[in-house]
Amino acid sequence: MTIAIAALIGASAFAQKIVIKGSDTVLPLSQKESESYMKKNPSQSITVVGGGSGVGIAALLDGTTDIAMSSRALKMDERMKLQDAGKAFKEVTIANDALAAIVNPSNKVTKLTREQLEGIYTGKIKNWKEVGGDDMQIVVYARETSSGTYEFFKEHVMSRKNYASSVLNMPATGAIIQSVSQTKGAIGYVGLAYVTKDVKDLAVSYDKGKTYVEATVANAKNKSYPIVRPLLYFYPTSKEKAVKPFIDFILSAEGQKIVTEVGYVSMN
Amino acid sequence: MLIFSTAVLAQEVTEQPLDTLTRHTAGLRQEIDVLKRIKLSGYIQAQFQVADSAGAKGYAGGDFAPGVDKRFMLRRARLKAQYDAPFNDKGISTSQYVFQVDVTERGVVIKDMYAKFTDPWSGWLSLTAGMQNRPFGYEIGYSSSLRESPERGRMSQIIFPNERDLGAMLTLQGPKLSNWNWVKIEGGFFNGTGGPGAANILNGTASGTSNSSDFDKFKDFIGHIVINRSSRSEKIKWGLGASYYAGGFRQDASDRYENGTDSVGVKGFTMEQKKSEVSVNINARDKVERNYIGFDGQLNIDWMIGMTTLRAEYVSGSQPGTSSSTASPAFAPVSTTSSTYIVLDTAGTPKTVTTTSVGPADIYVRNFDGAYFYFLQNIGNSPFQFIAKYDWYDPNTDVEGDDIGKKVSTGYKATSATDIKYTTIGLGLAYRWDASLKITAYYDMVENEKSANLSGYTKDILDNVFTLRVQVKF
Repeated sequence: MTIAIAALIGASAFAQKIVIKGSDTVLPLSQKESESYMKKNPSQSITVVGGGSGVGIAALLDGTTDIAMSSRALKMDERMKLQDAGKAFKEVTIANDALAAIVNPSNKVTKLTREQLEGIYTGKIKNWKEVGGDDMQIVVYARETSSGTYEFFKEHVMSRKNYASSVLNMPATGAIIQSVSQTKGAIGYVGLAYVTKDVKDLAVSYDKGKTYVEATVANAKNKSYPIVRPLLYFYPTSKEKAVKPFIDFILSAEGQKIVTEVGYVSMN
Repeated sequence: MLIFSTAVLAQEVTEQPLDTLTRHTAGLRQEIDVLKRIKLSGYIQAQFQVADSAGAKGYAGGDFAPGVDKRFMLRRARLKAQYDAPFNDKGISTSQYVFQVDVTERGVVIKDMYAKFTDPWSGWLSLTAGMQNRPFGYEIGYSSSLRESPERGRMSQIIFPNERDLGAMLTLQGPKLSNWNWVKIEGGFFNGTGGPGAANILNGTASGTSNSSDFDKFKDFIGHIVINRSSRSEKIKWGLGASYYAGGFRQDASDRYENGTDSVGVKGFTMEQKKSEVSVNINARDKVERNYIGFDGQLNIDWMIGMTTLRAEYVSGSQPGTSSSTASPAFAPVSTTSSTYIVLDTAGTPKTVTTTSVGPADIYVRNFDGAYFYFLQNIGNSPFQFIAKYDWYDPNTDVEGDDIGKKVSTGYKATSATDIKYTTIGLGLAYRWDASLKITAYYDMVENEKSANLSGYTKDILDNVFTLRVQVKF
């Protein structure tokens, strides 16, 4: 009994620990991947924490994470800070994600152009009747500023224009799903893996209404859906030995199968 | 009694463990939020230097003492405290207080001491008052802890000793989330002296000549406009800026000279105003002007060989100085004159008597220019960075080469070593051990302008300096 306890303590003491922090979009994928990886490698211990891509990158800078998960590219200022801090790092794309615009299921609007999405989020379009819906005020939800999804949406859908001050910022993707599902006039955006039957995702047009494409894994893979982004891991090169086996697992056939199961777009 | 005890029992609420945890966490979070508003940071730069010759004069951390060609030095040891007010309901932190001090073997100097107030409605307009960086160019405001070369360029150190000054400045810049955050316009009025820190630098002693704020009534205007943009890919970042300085200081009872040519065509200084023409009333005296314009640019590219940075800045203008210095004065320029004469003592024996007097120094107004260029290359993803820098400072663009030091006709003043142009090429390698520790090896190759007519400057002076610096930052 004593020997068994000692063996258990010894095993946990020597367990390889990996800390992953950052993107709420990548969070469910990282959780599933780490669960599967730890089942195959019992000596490994992986902790996954959300908070947003900005939180993950800040943790990478101050050395409190082994892997920063992010749904956006590093900004130049962040690269320069990492350089100044002497932190050589590597970037790996582990999956792709389609960003879905979602509305309440009772909303009769089923599609929007990029320009209309931009108008809604910049505050120029305030009522659903302006985009073919009912006479109802648009309640706009977005992520917090530390979110990579927030930055990606601003960059790629809003053409870098500023969010309207009336936009309601939510701390997590789950909060957007909940708010949109409970508010008739609401609109939000989430990673495809978060879309549930409690919300309705819209088809989007990037050619001013000529063609509309639905947010599906198949459309993201065949590149017909326009709002697709890579999901990234950043890690310091000094941690490569510790994290590479886990990253290799994610990029393997088994790991990419989990990507598809979670609802994201696999690399193969 | 039963009813009373029932009422008491009814008021008791048993808190669930989760509620207790939530309450404690909320309390801890509030305390952490308060602590997060106060930031303490600092850095220490310790270095070893070797000069080409003993007593070499220069701007690689100050002159070497006579007979000294090697030295250990605590170049900077800074401690900075910053407090930021909590965000209001518009997400704006409306005030910031900063205090920074430098403590070395040479003494204690206050570097920054200012308060910054931001408008609580839009966050666009800020007022900064106190001892702060002068808003001119790029190199002045770029932290010494981040700067790749050990020192700022010669010109920056001469025209802006101490980098800081006492004054008030308005800044117009959109908040971080604004579409206009990429442009900043700042301008303010300053004493123009650089404060006690500048006095310390110029005087070369720990206490320096006492100068608590200013020595005249004239305030200098400094303005700067800068734009910073990144490419969509976030792999390229660039910036451009333009600066303007309009100032000067009171001319006391001294002669004022400007560049000119004597009757036989020799370049020198001609008298523009005699000391006798300066008002006896100190309050009615005019200002001798100090005007600069500057342009700066930066380019950062992150590509396959690593981060490449190009930086450049050019400044030109009119700088009032003395016969022996073009440095911007921290105190009213003075000169010491001595007179020797023969007197007869009571026994009728001739004796030599020397008296010295200190009075306002003659002012020399020179047109100057200067620039620096940086090429920085991170070696791939390694912690090594290659540094190359070229800078020049020409204190008098109206004369060159053998013009300097030539004898001039009576009534004119000759040019001197003060008018010599310096060019410096610096090469170095930095190694970033981690986020706190950086080691830099750097070699300054200084070349002075040569003149056959100026003793000591007929060839290049041996004043190159090698610096090995260790910086610890927290």
